[in-house]
Amino acid sequence: MSERRIDAVAKATGAAKYTADVVLEGTTFAAVKRSDLPSALIEEIDISPAKEVDGVLGVFTAKDLPGGANLYGRRVFDVPILADGRVRRVGDPIAAVVATSREIAEAAAELIEVTYKELTTVATAREAIQPDSPLIHDRPWEYAGAVVTPDSGRNIQSVDSHGSREAAESALRNAVHVIDETYFTPGDHQGYIEPQACIADYHADGSLNVWNTNKSPYRLRDVLSSVFGLDPKKVEIMPTVLGGDFGGKGSPGDAPLCTALSILVGRPVKMVLRYSDDLLSTDGRHSSEIRVRLGIDASGKLVGGIAEALLDGGAYAGFKPVNTVNLHGIVDAAIAYRIPEFFVESKIVYTNNQPKGHMRAPGSPQAAFAFESALDELGRRSGIGPIKIRELNLLSDGDVNPYGSVWLEYRGKEVLSLAMSQPKSVDVPEGWLHGEGVAIYARSMAAVPKTSLRLRRGENGKVIAEVPIPENGAGGQTVVREMIRTGLGISADKIEVNQVSTSLLPTDAGVGGSRVSLGVTVAVANAIKLWKEMPADQEVVEITTDEGSDGPSGAYSAQLARVAVDPMTGQLKVLELISAVDVAEIVNPKAHQMQIDGGAVMGFGFAVMEDLLEEGGQPWALSMGEFKLPNVADIPKLTTALLRGGKGVGPNNIKAVGELTNCPTGAAIANAVEDATGVRIRRLPIRAETIYWGMKEGSAK
Amino acid sequence: MQSTETEFLVPTSVSEALESISKEDAIFLGGGTSTALLYKTRLIEPSRVVWLGNVGELKGIFASDGEVKIGSMTTAAEIAANRDIARLLPGVCTASGVIGNARVRAMATLGGALAHADPRQDMPPALIAVGAEVSVKSSLSTRRIPLAEFYEGFLETVLDPDELITEVTIPLVANRRSAYIRYTPTSEGDYPTVGAGSSVTFGSDGKIIEAASVVLCGVGSVPIISNQASQLLVGTTGDDAALRRAAEAVREIVEPQDDERGSAAYKREMASIFAFRSLKSCLGS
Amino acid sequence: MKINFSLNGKGTELDVDPMSLALDVIRGLSLTGTKEGCGVGVCGACTIMVNGAPVSSCICLVGTLVDKDVWTIEGLAEKMPELIDSFVENEGMQCGICTPGQIVAAASIDSAGVSTSEEIRKYMAGNLCRCTGYQTIVSAVEDHLAVN
Repeated sequence: MSERRIDAVAKATGAAKYTADVVLEGTTFAAVKRSDLPSALIEEIDISPAKEVDGVLGVFTAKDLPGGANLYGRRVFDVPILADGRVRRVGDPIAAVVATSREIAEAAAELIEVTYKELTTVATAREAIQPDSPLIHDRPWEYAGAVVTPDSGRNIQSVDSHGSREAAESALRNAVHVIDETYFTPGDHQGYIEPQACIADYHADGSLNVWNTNKSPYRLRDVLSSVFGLDPKKVEIMPTVLGGDFGGKGSPGDAPLCTALSILVGRPVKMVLRYSDDLLSTDGRHSSEIRVRLGIDASGKLVGGIAEALLDGGAYAGFKPVNTVNLHGIVDAAIAYRIPEFFVESKIVYTNNQPKGHMRAPGSPQAAFAFESALDELGRRSGIGPIKIRELNLLSDGDVNPYGSVWLEYRGKEVLSLAMSQPKSVDVPEGWLHGEGVAIYARSMAAVPKTSLRLRRGENGKVIAEVPIPENGAGGQTVVREMIRTGLGISADKIEVNQVSTSLLPTDAGVGGSRVSLGVTVAVANAIKLWKEMPADQEVVEITTDEGSDGPSGAYSAQLARVAVDPMTGQLKVLELISAVDVAEIVNPKAHQMQIDGGAVMGFGFAVMEDLLEEGGQPWALSMGEFKLPNVADIPKLTTALLRGGKGVGPNNIKAVGELTNCPTGAAIANAVEDATGVRIRRLPIRAETIYWGMKEGSAK
Repeated sequence: MQSTETEFLVPTSVSEALESISKEDAIFLGGGTSTALLYKTRLIEPSRVVWLGNVGELKGIFASDGEVKIGSMTTAAEIAANRDIARLLPGVCTASGVIGNARVRAMATLGGALAHADPRQDMPPALIAVGAEVSVKSSLSTRRIPLAEFYEGFLETVLDPDELITEVTIPLVANRRSAYIRYTPTSEGDYPTVGAGSSVTFGSDGKIIEAASVVLCGVGSVPIISNQASQLLVGTTGDDAALRRAAEAVREIVEPQDDERGSAAYKREMASIFAFRSLKSCLGS
Repeated sequence: MKINFSLNGKGTELDVDPMSLALDVIRGLSLTGTKEGCGVGVCGACTIMVNGAPVSSCICLVGTLVDKDVWTIEGLAEKMPELIDSFVENEGMQCGICTPGQIVAAASIDSAGVSTSEEIRKYMAGNLCRCTGYQTIVSAVEDHLAVN
C-alpha cells in the first residue's frame, strides 16, 4: 500500500501543479500571430491594430528581439523565435503580443495584418530532394550545429547510414528470394494531453526563472543562456510536473520566445498553447517513406538487406537533439537479425511542413513498420512463412549484430515464442475474417546518461532526495523512492523525492530514451552507498555520475496482433494485442506494466488512427476532433507476457521498457490484416477503406 | 476578449424567450456545446444570448397513444435513457446514445442539435425515418415543419433568426419498426463515416410493407432521404432481395465528399451497405 | 453579471462575464485541478460535474451554470475520498494531467446504468489518457463501482 506511486494522491486530488497552474505576481500573457502560408516572404507586418487594444502591453516582431538573438534549437540552431522576413511553414510565429490577459493577447494577435509574397511550397520530402526544388533554407550549413555542408544535396537536414551499399547490393543479387517494397507512415503528434506552456521571468539583474513544459531542464538552461548571452548560473529552470511528454517536451518550446518577451516588457510572461496551436507548432513524429529490400538464400537465411528511408523533417532541423541530427531508430532497423550485409541510410529533409522532432523511440515505429512488414512479406512470398523466417534469422547468443556488436544476450526467439504461446481470449465476430500477425522489436540500451542527485536528512528521520528531473509520468521519482526504501530499509512515508531547480544540482541529461530508470538507479545506488558510510554529523550526500555505458545489451519485445475484418466494409477490429516483453529485474511493477500497456495503445493509435493529415504544406488535423487518439472503448484487449530472467544493466539489473511496445504494433497489425484478407497494407494509418478496395481488387483478380 | 460584453438573458418561459430574441444579433442558446466553441474561436459575436436552460416548458418527453413529444431542451442523455423512447423509437434511442461522448450527451439538447444542422449528426436520420416534425414559434407565428423539410444546406435550416424550436413530435404508427446504425471505422469517438436511420411499417396482415423510410447522415450537405428506396420496399415482405434493391437505390442519391472519414466513392458504398444493415436491424434480424 | 450557483457544495456568487468559459472561471478561483487539454470538448481533462452529470468546462459558458450544483475535483476529493483511494491504490494514472477529469467522470457514473467493464469503457470513452493504456483506470472505476 505504501509502495503506490509517490505522486498518486497529488495527481488524483488535483493538487499537483503543472506549468499552466503556476501563477506569478504581475504575470502578463503572450499570444502569437502565426503564418497562414507554408512558404512566403513577409513584405509587411501591420501591428498597429493590435497595439491599440486595451490591455496590450507590447507587440513585437523579429527586429525587436533583445540583442538581435533569434535562432535557437536543440542541436542545430535554425529555428527562428520570430520569423525574420520569411515563413517556412503554416504556424511560423511572426509577431507576439503581450497583454494583461490571455484572451486579450489572443484577440489582439488576430488583428495583426501580414502581407506576404507567396513562394512555391515544398509539400513532401520527395519534392524536396528534386534537383529543381526550391530551397527551404538558402545556406543551412551556416547554422550553428549544422551537420550538412554545401555538398550535402538539396534541402538536406542530415543523412545517417550504416554498412556498405555495394556489399549489400551484391548480396541481394545473389539471393534466391528478394522482397523490394516501400512503406509509408504519416506525421504524428505525441498526443500528450497537457499543451505546452511556459512562464519566463527575467529580472533587471540579469537573472531568469523559467517554468516550462520541458523534460530536459539543464539542456534548456544551456540553450537559453546561449541564445540570449546570459550567465548560465543566473538562468534557473524551475521544477514542474509534466502532463505527458513522449519526446515532445524535450524541445525548448516557447521558452526562448517568452524569455525574449519578458526581457522586453520587464515582467513575467506566460504563454499556454491552445491545443490547436500545439498540433500546429511543436515537434511531432517524422513522416516516412522507407524502401526495404531483403534477400534470403534457399534455406531462408537472410543474405543481405538495404533500407533507404526518406523522412520529412519539416521546416527546421532544430528539434532533433542528437549529434547526428537524425533518428537512430531508422539506422537500427535490423538490430534484431543476423544479416551478413546490411546497408541502411536515413535521409531527413527540409520541407514546408511542421518541423519534426522526437516521439517515443525516435525513428523506430517507422523503421519497425517497414522492416517487419517487409520481412513478413518475404516470409509469405517465399513460402517459408512469416514465423519461420524470423526464427531462422533472429540473432542467437554469441552472434555479431549488423552493427558489429555482440550483446550479452539475444532474446528475440524467446519473446516470439512466448507471444505465440499465449492463450487467445477474444472471439471473432460472426462472419468476420480473422488473422494473426507478429512483429519484433529490439533496442540497444548501452548508454548510461549523466545525472546528479542529493540525499538530505529531514526531520523525524526523513530522507529527502533532491532530483534534477521532472516527473513526466513514467515514474522516475517513484523508482528513486523505491530504491531508497529498499536500500536503506526505511518505510516509504519517511522518504520525500523533490525535483529541484537547475541552480540546486549540477547536471542531468533529461528524461528520455528509456533511460530514466537506468541513469537514476546508478546515481541512487551510489548515493545510498555514501549515505550508509556518512558520519552522524553530516547532513547531505551529493552524487554526480558521468555518461557511461553498460552492456552492450538490449531489450526485446514481440507483439502478436489478432484482427477481425468485416468482409463487406473492410472495417478492422484489432481484437487483441499480445505483448511479450524481455525483462530483467523490475523496480516498480505497476509503472512497468503501464509503460507496456501505454506503449501498446500508442502503437495501436499509430497503426490505425493517428495522422496529422499534412497536405500541401498544411496540417489538416488541428484539433482532437480531427486528430483522433485511441479512447478506452477503441482499444484492443491487451495481454502481456513477461520473459523474465534477462541480463539487465546497472546496479538494479534492469531493462528499458518505455519504448518497447509502441514500435512493433504497426507491422503486427498490418501483417495480421494480410493474414485475414490477403490485402497487404504498406501505408499507415491502416484505413478500413484501404482494406475494402484491396479486397475488391483481390477478388476481381 | 469580445469588444463589448454580450447580454446574457435567462428567460423562464417561451413567451419571455421569444420577446428577448427581438434584438438583432441575438441568438438562442441551448446546451451550448456548439455555440461555446463558435464563440470562443470568435466565429460568432452575438450582442445578446438568450439561454433556454431555465425554460421548464421546453423540457421533457411525453408519450401518448398517437405520438411522442420531446421538448427542445431535452438532452441527448435524457432521450437515450428514456424508457418510452427505448420501447417506441429504438432508432432514436440508439442515435441519442452514441453522440460524441458522455459529456456531450449530458449537455447537448435536441433543439440545439437540430438547429446546428451539421450533416454528420446522428439524430436527424433517426428522427426523419420515423416522421418527426419540428414545432417552431416566433413572437408572431407558430408552425410545424416536417424534419425532412427542415434542412437547407451545411449548417443551414429553414428557421428564421427569431424562431425557436419548442418541441419535436414523432407520430406513433402501428406495425412500424425503426433502427439507427452508424459506422465509425476509426474511432468510436468520431463522427460517423455514414449513419443510417430507417423504418419499416407493415400492413395489418403483418407481412407486406406498407411504408418505409431510409435516411442517411455523413453523405451529403443535409440528411439524405431515399424516396426510391422506400418505394422499392413498399409491397414487399422485406426479404433480403428487396432490402438489397432498396440499398442499391441509396447508392445513387447520396452526395458524399472526400475527407478523412473516407473517400466519396467509399462512403457511397458504405451508405448502401449500412442502409441495408439498418433495414435488416429494423426487421429484427 | 452576477451568477449564483453551488460550487463544491457551497453557495457561490460570482460577478463574471456570463459568456466566459467555466474552465477559465473555475481555474481563476485557484481550482487548478480542472485542466485545459484539447479545448474542444474531446479529451475530458476539464471535466466538471454539473447536477450530477459530466460536463466539458472548456465548452461550457459559465452563464449556463446559474442555479446549478457544480463540483470540481477539489470538492469531489473531499466528498468522495473512497473514489480517490480507488485511483490511488490502482495507480490509475501516470502523468496525471487527465486524472482529475477521469475521476470526475467516474464520480458521475450512475451505477444503475453502468456496471460491466464494457459499459464502463463506453461511458469513460470521452476521457482520453495517453500514458497508461487505460487498464489501471478501468480497474479503479470497477473497484469504485463494486464497492458502491
